[in-house]
Amino acid sequence: MSVFLVLEQSGGKIKRASWEAAAAALRLGAAQDVTAVVIGAQTEALAAEAATKQFGKVVRLEHALLEHYTADGFSLALEQLIQAETPEYVVFPHTYQVRDYAPALACRMGRVLIGDVIGIGDGPLFMRQLLQGRLNGGYRPCGAGPCFVSVQAGAFRAELPAAGDGQTPVTTFAPNIDAAQIRTRAGEPFRNSAQTVDLGSAQLIVSVGRGIREAENIRLVEDLAGALGAELAASRPICDNGWLPMERQVGSSGQTVSPKLYLAVGISGAIQHLVGMKGSQCIVAINKDPDAPIFEVADYGIAGDLFEVVPALTEAVKAAKG
Amino acid sequence: MKIIVAIKQVPERDAQVRIDAAGKWIEEADLHYAMNEPDAYALEEALQQKEKHGGEVVVISAGPERVGSTIREALAKGADRAIQIVCDDLGKRDALGVARLLAAAIKTESPDLVLTGLQSEDLGLGQTGVIVAELLGLPHATLILQVEKTETGLKVKRELEEGWFQTIELPAPAVLTIQSGGNKLRYATLMGIKRAKTKEVRQLSAAELGVDGAPVVTLDEITLPKKQKSTQMLGGSAKEAAAALVEKLKFEVRVL
Amino acid sequence: MILTLPTLAEPQHFHVAEKLLFIVLAAASGYGFWRRFGPILNRILSSKKDADFRLFPIGRRLWDFFWQVMCQAKVIRQRPLPGLAHAFVFWAFCAFALVTLNHCAAGLGLGFLDPTGWFGRFYTYLAGVFALACAAGILGLFIRRFLVRPKWLGEQLSWESGLIALLIFALMATYLAAFLVPDTGVAVRELWWAHTLVLLAFLPLIPHTKHLHLVLSPATIFLSRGGFSRIPPLSGDEDFGLVAGTDLTQLVSLQAYSCVECGRCTEHCPANNTGKILNPKEIILGLRSYLNALGPRSDEPLLGKYNSQEAVFECTTCGACEFQCPVGIEHLPILVGLRRGAVNTGAWEDQHGAKLFLALERGSNALGLPAQERDKFIEKNALPIFDGTQEYCLWLGCMGGYDPKGREIIVSFVKVMNYLGTSYGVLRKEKCTGDPVRRLGNDLLFEQLASANLEALAQNKVKKIVSICPHCVRTIQEDWKTYGTPPEVEHHSEFLARFADKLPRATNSASFVTGHDFSRAENADKTAGALAPVPPRNEKIVFHDPCYLGRYRNVYDEPRQVAALAGELVEAPRNRERSFCCGAGGGLAFLGEESGERVSHVRAAELAATGAGVVAAACPFCNTMFRDALAAQGEGAPQLLDIAQLAARGLPQENDI
Repeated sequence: MSVFLVLEQSGGKIKRASWEAAAAALRLGAAQDVTAVVIGAQTEALAAEAATKQFGKVVRLEHALLEHYTADGFSLALEQLIQAETPEYVVFPHTYQVRDYAPALACRMGRVLIGDVIGIGDGPLFMRQLLQGRLNGGYRPCGAGPCFVSVQAGAFRAELPAAGDGQTPVTTFAPNIDAAQIRTRAGEPFRNSAQTVDLGSAQLIVSVGRGIREAENIRLVEDLAGALGAELAASRPICDNGWLPMERQVGSSGQTVSPKLYLAVGISGAIQHLVGMKGSQCIVAINKDPDAPIFEVADYGIAGDLFEVVPALTEAVKAAKG
Repeated sequence: MKIIVAIKQVPERDAQVRIDAAGKWIEEADLHYAMNEPDAYALEEALQQKEKHGGEVVVISAGPERVGSTIREALAKGADRAIQIVCDDLGKRDALGVARLLAAAIKTESPDLVLTGLQSEDLGLGQTGVIVAELLGLPHATLILQVEKTETGLKVKRELEEGWFQTIELPAPAVLTIQSGGNKLRYATLMGIKRAKTKEVRQLSAAELGVDGAPVVTLDEITLPKKQKSTQMLGGSAKEAAAALVEKLKFEVRVL
Repeated sequence: MILTLPTLAEPQHFHVAEKLLFIVLAAASGYGFWRRFGPILNRILSSKKDADFRLFPIGRRLWDFFWQVMCQAKVIRQRPLPGLAHAFVFWAFCAFALVTLNHCAAGLGLGFLDPTGWFGRFYTYLAGVFALACAAGILGLFIRRFLVRPKWLGEQLSWESGLIALLIFALMATYLAAFLVPDTGVAVRELWWAHTLVLLAFLPLIPHTKHLHLVLSPATIFLSRGGFSRIPPLSGDEDFGLVAGTDLTQLVSLQAYSCVECGRCTEHCPANNTGKILNPKEIILGLRSYLNALGPRSDEPLLGKYNSQEAVFECTTCGACEFQCPVGIEHLPILVGLRRGAVNTGAWEDQHGAKLFLALERGSNALGLPAQERDKFIEKNALPIFDGTQEYCLWLGCMGGYDPKGREIIVSFVKVMNYLGTSYGVLRKEKCTGDPVRRLGNDLLFEQLASANLEALAQNKVKKIVSICPHCVRTIQEDWKTYGTPPEVEHHSEFLARFADKLPRATNSASFVTGHDFSRAENADKTAGALAPVPPRNEKIVFHDPCYLGRYRNVYDEPRQVAALAGELVEAPRNRERSFCCGAGGGLAFLGEESGERVSHVRAAELAATGAGVVAAACPFCNTMFRDALAAQGEGAPQLLDIAQLAARGLPQENDI
């Protein structure tokens, strides 16, 4: 029951989602059957980091052409490794990068990736969400060949891999890749200009409404946004008063947003505002009126005085982030 | 430039979801269907490219007869012609099986560019476009927001996690999966619908394309998720409520 | 001494040369008239035929002709003093018909009216009275235009109007002067020639100026579409609305040429009054300029050089323009027609508009919210589901089903219906009636929505609908007719008014709330939840007439009857047919930020200025628009309540204090 675990790195460190994928891998096989794979041009440090956990072994999939991620490079390299070692399962974290190459890799080997898995049942039966979370589906692999699985971030969060005894062996595998086989060329990652407020692509938004009462009080909410690493937004009256620029307005006459988290502070939930943020994955509302319409659409709500709750929340967030 | 846009017809977002008798999929009897929204963005990108560089936009869709209405909608919005792969067992095929159907039909067209939405609103696999690229031997890029034609091929803007972006250059022909929100969608017009009536829709069957459907992954069962969405009110003092919220943000929402 | 009555002097004998001269001049005048009028008539007649025009039933047309043309009803009612002055001028023209005919006949020696005979005397005196009134009237109008200079008549002085006024005055003066000269002699002849020359100068001027309405507007009023905002169905596969000259129909062309430039439409336009570029008068004159320059066979877009797309999409379809027009121009079908031309062809690129259309293409409501939200509301309030056995189907609409404030109106209305024991139910699923889409001109989407709804209503065996939204009511009753037979539908104000005598008044009496006496201030805040202060009962209520209930449906008294249950009514300066729009109609509630002042704020200020403690609304859109506007006024702003909420106030309260 050999299980490959493909770890993804960012800035020279292994990303958190990869460790969560490790938890899934450990469901499919015992620790000593799990091979952690790190990919790149210089993978010594990455491998060392991986080796601190309890795995069967760590493989450094190394080639100069793997310095930067490319779909062609990673697919070719992994295909060769998988053909050499023939694991039964290949587990990935379900990241943008994995979505870009893992399906092609699976296809090359006549298989299909079971992606964005949120749970593993007996069989194994791989659970994924369908119809935007309204249904769960159980998938089963069949036929010969490795089973490719990618795991949703946060689905296996509690069970991170245990620390190893420092004896995890590390080997290197050098794939054969020709420069001509790499067809895409990627530039340096960039952000949109700091001047323009891009609420549309913000993952976390803290939004302030009339409940804040005065312009000076907005800094309370700014502090919270800062602590969370969130973008600041507002309902229309705030922008109309000039307390925040118009481009921060969320609503029918402003921007439509769909972040992972939308924290509405002192916003009642009038329809003109709701239509701008109803697509948010998680809505949290803080309002002193327990009957405020915003609570109808919120996932979590605090009916209390924002002037007390917001500072308390800012503190708690800072503490949690450490 | 000949652009192929692969479109999927999916159940309407407002659809009442009930599991069918066999427990393998949802009751389709009362469902209304619509164009998969990310595919609508792919179509919009294709139409804008055509407006800039000329050429032809061909839409392709696989599924039962009812898929015709979505194809007509695409034609109404400006696509030039369509290929309908009539296939009643789409649900039984896995991503590879579906991609094989599409790739077989696309191959006959020799396009300069193949666009499709990032993922579908029903299964949400997000793989079909990438597999089609692999089957056709074409380079690909995913999560694309902007497409630019260059001397040597294409220059595209790709979305990365956490608000980062990246420019990728690749040769044409290529396959791109388009992320929602890159363009503003156009609405269907009366004039468009009337014109669509005269546009060609070529029908093909899976058998004609010589593609078999034996899946390597099967969807064995469908269940309703246990958690239903309802508002959880966090009470207590300001400090207690804040602490409770942070717990939720950490473990349930996973943003901390 | 006998007082001799003045007699109209008539020249008895014309030289042949004079007669010839008269004929030549008359012919020249006639030619001058036709040279200009002929092409205009041609342009009107060679426009596309109105596919939906029906001469019968003719009763309505005859009545309109009598009331609006002969009695000058609209002219007088909406602008009394200038209207009356104009009416005198018009009536004088009518009275002068025989006189003028006789005058010209006399020039050829064929005069038939004997001014000494009893009929002749009576008639000439009658005409004389009208002439005096006309002269006074035209003098007044002249002073108004050139000295008082109201804004609505435009910035620039109209010299042609001045000339016409002078000519009319001269006609009356030369007529009246003929009473003061003897039958024989030079004077009478000179007067006759003076009168004739003025007349012959006047005739060709008619088609060159807005006085063309003398000829056209009686026909315009007679041939009008009737009703209010009658949007014609598209005819045939190539009809997308008013795209180019070829789409202008005979009625539209006729109306474009009938405009008298009085500016009443512009004066009452909410967009124009708040700094937007839309000017209803200029829309019509723009079409006229287009026709003059390019004619009705041109392919040039109508929204281009002579009219702007931007202006056309600033319209709230409130109908004040169409309501005011004294010559029968129907602005709304024209404005919606122009929008159709832009939207049905995809020429309108507006991100909010596209968002609205896409939301309705894929979903069931104009707000783009999932249908489950409406299901949750129904479940939470345990609303009965319509199953074909109940009498009424309560139509929630997009606002009633999804907007928090709209839902409050529904909840209140439901309380009243329960109190009355009404048998009703709500549909499991509703699609938007399509009102915003219809007013914006998207026929594809509107057909889809109307047809789907009609089918669902038929399947559910709905016979009667009651709705809280005048837009829904209008769209269901009128606009859906193109696609089927809608069930009966009424607005909740009409429903409530029928039962007004069964509903208890909300008074100062303590008996309706458990035990507490409202008149005692110290108990006032113990009686309701901390967030719902109980206002004093004897406050004043100002009712805002929604455009789609008032002008569109002629319902003004019923909502007042209902509002009166809760207090004393006061009226806003612009009320009833002259009510000033809240700014939401025409799809504008979905189109994002407006330029200039906000229409809703202007109206809210007007309503607050009446000193009323409560603004009563009868439309969920008015409610939404005024909510922000009144809140912006700060402390002391009047409360905003729907008439259903006012009616519910008087009901015995069930909740504990």
